[in-house]
Amino acid sequence: MSSKAVSTVTRLGEATVIRDEDVSNPIAIRFDHVRKTYKLFKNDRQRLLATFSRRVKYDTINANDDLSFICRRGESLALLGDNGAGKSTALKMITGVCFPTSGSVEVHGRVSALLELSAGFDAKLSGMENIQMRCQLWGLSKEESEELIPEIVEFSELGRYIDQPLRTYSSGMKARLGFAFASSIRPDILVVDEALSVGDRKFSKKCRNKVRDIMAKEDVTVLFVTHSTNMAKEFCQNGIVIQRGHAVFSGTIGDAIDFYTKQ
Amino acid sequence: MFETLKHIVSENWRWRRQVWGLAKIDLVRTYRGAALGKVWLFAKPAVYILVYWFTLSFGLRSASDINGKPFILWLATGVFPWFFMSDMITTGSDIYHKYPYLVNRLKFPLSLISTFYTLSLLMVFGGMMVFTILACLLTGVPLSVYLIQLPLVMALMFVFWLAWSVMLSPLSAISKDFGNLLKTLSTPFFWISGILFPLDALPRIGRIIMAFNPVSWCVESVRDCFVNDQWFWMQPKRFLPFLAVLLVVIILALHNYRRLYTEVPDVI
Repeated sequence: MSSKAVSTVTRLGEATVIRDEDVSNPIAIRFDHVRKTYKLFKNDRQRLLATFSRRVKYDTINANDDLSFICRRGESLALLGDNGAGKSTALKMITGVCFPTSGSVEVHGRVSALLELSAGFDAKLSGMENIQMRCQLWGLSKEESEELIPEIVEFSELGRYIDQPLRTYSSGMKARLGFAFASSIRPDILVVDEALSVGDRKFSKKCRNKVRDIMAKEDVTVLFVTHSTNMAKEFCQNGIVIQRGHAVFSGTIGDAIDFYTKQ
Repeated sequence: MFETLKHIVSENWRWRRQVWGLAKIDLVRTYRGAALGKVWLFAKPAVYILVYWFTLSFGLRSASDINGKPFILWLATGVFPWFFMSDMITTGSDIYHKYPYLVNRLKFPLSLISTFYTLSLLMVFGGMMVFTILACLLTGVPLSVYLIQLPLVMALMFVFWLAWSVMLSPLSAISKDFGNLLKTLSTPFFWISGILFPLDALPRIGRIIMAFNPVSWCVESVRDCFVNDQWFWMQPKRFLPFLAVLLVVIILALHNYRRLYTEVPDVI
């Protein structure tokens, strides 16, 4: 969507992150032996001391441990796993808000994530201003945003509420706005969390149709993260099962669901 | 170190349009929810200046014209920059907690959060300076050629407080202690930095210490433009210590940013 072709390679100790917007690359996302370690401190004082000294002891937990998988362009892939398996951490690394501890992450294309839809809005600003701000954050040009905004407003079905401050919105309204934005900006890679159950049945159906629309565009890659096997079966061709931060199975969606449910 | 500097500068340059847009949105955000809106940006400092003026000229009887300029102008040129700096000291040093969704919900370069917040505060400060100039013109207080250095002073203030925000925000994100410490220090800084009294009144040792206080430098340099009628770079006893502090803050900012920016999203 944007004309800028920005490629960034970030090296952090043993970890490498490569991001660009090259949609001609046949690979959309590649995780190669990725490990993400969170530091657990006994209390906040220990955390504070650790910023000054490397000698402070802390516990570690590997949210992703030696996680490797490849998501090809145009593929619709489901990441299946129980709570705490490391799905969300993997998603955060794909969207770029957190960094791996070691291993390499490659993302080719612009990622839009439908996760925690109601989060990430500014409560003081109105719905419209929030959309404008998001467009800024996405790096859209003025013309691009002007073209998209009516579409987003219409899809969200907020009507005149769009000019009210966000703190007056119900959680369903926030989620609708979030979904409308994330699905309208024409990403190259769409990441869908347990988000399709937002709002009432009618809106939820509309969301599913929208995701199907997006998937029908052949070069859009969709990554589904769920523990609901029905949803995965409905939308995806292939599946990966994640257990304790590690990919234990990779194959077609039917086999992946069999493997996952048999555990 | 230079890598990090290059990284931050190029990031800011690439996103310059967004930074500008976000600064304006941040401005809207601060006065949103009030019927009088923008008036509040100026009402609070104006009331403070009147209160200080009342206290100092009628209560303490320590007000007198300075360099032939009205005392209230001297006061305003100290208190207006202070409002900018006090927000930078308290909120600017803990900026990731103000915009958590830019840190851990969206992919957004962290250094830009400091940039657009500082810029938004600087716009308010600029508005106050315009107001001061207009008030001078209306009341017939003579303005001198030294006023043309004001944009330069503001640019240096921008760089210093931006580096300040980049230096401290990662630490404040990791531990609340930094945020609390700086909020506690805000009031002492107001009273010791020569905003309400001329620094010349201090003993020699006090003046030397104050030369290394960036708050004093900012206030004195803004006063150079309006009241003292002198070039700020012709005051090496003030300017050189300030440059030294600026350099140290920039180096620490780069150091902290490089070491901690991958950790910030994990702890916010």
